[in-house]
Amino acid sequence: MTEIKTFATAEEAKAFMASFHRYTDPASVSPLKGEAAHEVAVGPVHAGVIEPGHFRFQCMGEDVYNLQIFLGYQHRGVEEEIVRADGNLVRQVALAETCAGDTSIAAATCFSEIIETRDGLQTSAGDRKIRELLLELERIANHVGDLGALAGDVAFLPTASFCGRIRGEYLNMTALLCGNRFGRHAVVPGGLRATFNGKKESQLKDWISRVKKDLDGALKLMFEEPTVLERFEGTGVVSKEVAEEIGLVGVARRASVELKGDVLSRATIRRLEIEEAHKKVFAILECKMETGEWRMQENTSSHSSFPIHQTPFACVVATTQAWRGPLVHAALFDADGKMLRYKIVDPSAHNWQGLAYALRGEQISNFPICNKSFNLSYCGTDR
Amino acid sequence: MFKALIERLKQGFKTGKFPMRGEPNLPPDFRGRPEIDDDTSGDEVEKMKAVCPVKGALSFDFEGAKLDMGKCIFCGRCAEVCDKIRFTKEYRLAVFNRADLVVKAGDHDYVPPKQTNPQALALKHTFQLREVSAGGCAGCELDANVLGTLAWDMGRFGIRFVASPRHADAIYLTGPISKNMQLALDKTYAAAPEPKFLIAAGACAITGGLYKHGHLPDTPAMFIPGCPPHPATTLEALCRFTGRL
Repeated sequence: MTEIKTFATAEEAKAFMASFHRYTDPASVSPLKGEAAHEVAVGPVHAGVIEPGHFRFQCMGEDVYNLQIFLGYQHRGVEEEIVRADGNLVRQVALAETCAGDTSIAAATCFSEIIETRDGLQTSAGDRKIRELLLELERIANHVGDLGALAGDVAFLPTASFCGRIRGEYLNMTALLCGNRFGRHAVVPGGLRATFNGKKESQLKDWISRVKKDLDGALKLMFEEPTVLERFEGTGVVSKEVAEEIGLVGVARRASVELKGDVLSRATIRRLEIEEAHKKVFAILECKMETGEWRMQENTSSHSSFPIHQTPFACVVATTQAWRGPLVHAALFDADGKMLRYKIVDPSAHNWQGLAYALRGEQISNFPICNKSFNLSYCGTDR
Repeated sequence: MFKALIERLKQGFKTGKFPMRGEPNLPPDFRGRPEIDDDTSGDEVEKMKAVCPVKGALSFDFEGAKLDMGKCIFCGRCAEVCDKIRFTKEYRLAVFNRADLVVKAGDHDYVPPKQTNPQALALKHTFQLREVSAGGCAGCELDANVLGTLAWDMGRFGIRFVASPRHADAIYLTGPISKNMQLALDKTYAAAPEPKFLIAAGACAITGGLYKHGHLPDTPAMFIPGCPPHPATTLEALCRFTGRL
């Protein structure tokens, strides 16, 4: 059933649209009325090389009053498939990793921690450190890529070009550790499949110090350019109150709570996180860690060592600070350790509404930079 | 402007010579085309199958052991439990026929196939691709995007990702084709003008990989295996598709 509302003034319409908190009914039509009211539909196949999603910009003249976001195109049943693959740990990890390709390491860490809790496995301190290292590399790579893409979206090509290349360097560092640019198959229950030794440590240290200089130069260039700042500042604002009310997480929340909540704030937070992540990486590299012996259990269907079998059902929740925000995996086990249900909550799931808010009152042409400043995962939300 | 120029001078020229000259800079643990020994027994294949995350990737029949790269996600678990299989540094994985993706035991002298289709060879100087992401994890999309950066710069070879299927010579498909993307994919493919090609990139697009496979709108003209394919694999594949290599 659809309902049409009419408004006398733009302010009234704006106030009404601002009252929407959750996704609206997909079948609903634009509640705007009048000569200047129109709706622009985009997707699911977008113009860039990105994931599918359907957007509807409900506009009054040039201004977007509401952005409706329809997802679900990426749904392929990751959670169900993980439950079905119970007993085949290799397959389960691979499925968890492919929930969102750019968050593979965080997802594998979550899944591994759940299995480690179930089976009472201990990971060595070295393995945990290297997991952290991989996680920080993933964070840096993604933030660098997004800052470059933001520069590209406002046609500031030097930083766009530099960052595109520098992101690749960080992915290659991940590949140096485990053979895959996204850190696939590196983190496994019980430990790590990546090898780390003194040679790699010094190689990585030299590499990251060299690349960090290029990165600092590229980012300084962008954050000091008046034409870029002019476009970023005051664009796509999500106020602190709104951010807290709709429950934003991660970068988007920090930008709204600690700074002004515009595109510039989100870009600044990413820049700060890159700095922090580098500090952490250097600290880990100072630790002189070696990876432990890899002891992932062979595929078994009997979990004799299940330590939480006192209760008929046990839910294990694992959280990892992924680059977008907190990634939560939860699994429900029965007394024998058999997996009954698996649930993944990607940080993106909390933040899509924030993107819709950011675009209110903006022009459609500001969508790319608003979108990139969030860079939410479609596949992580759709699972 | 001067700041940008100074920074550019500092960073230097970064575009690699690959693929026309030189080899790509691959990580030491890179897992490329597998090699299987001649004397691999059925029992050994069973042992490898037990740790394989993808159903049907490994098989054994009268011709011996086989590994289907169209299904393989290159995790390298089989090589850990059995030394009869090795993942080589061979990154030139793309082929034109589905059957060529199956690596047979003793199949050690691999030469990447050459393009023979005159309609594809005509695209040597300009090759416009429309990417369709149909389900999947976005890994393949990210590593396809990388080709546009100045480290790989596929624009040198006239290869571009375009915004509309109407402008495209080929549809570059990634993802296992989820139920909700089937219609959009079919329509996008139908919107591309003839002659058109379908390029299936990644294990998902070729066979569904870890997931259930949807319906391909056409027989792919090229298969690029990997999970996701390394950018070197993809760039070499696209250049080979148009006969540049």
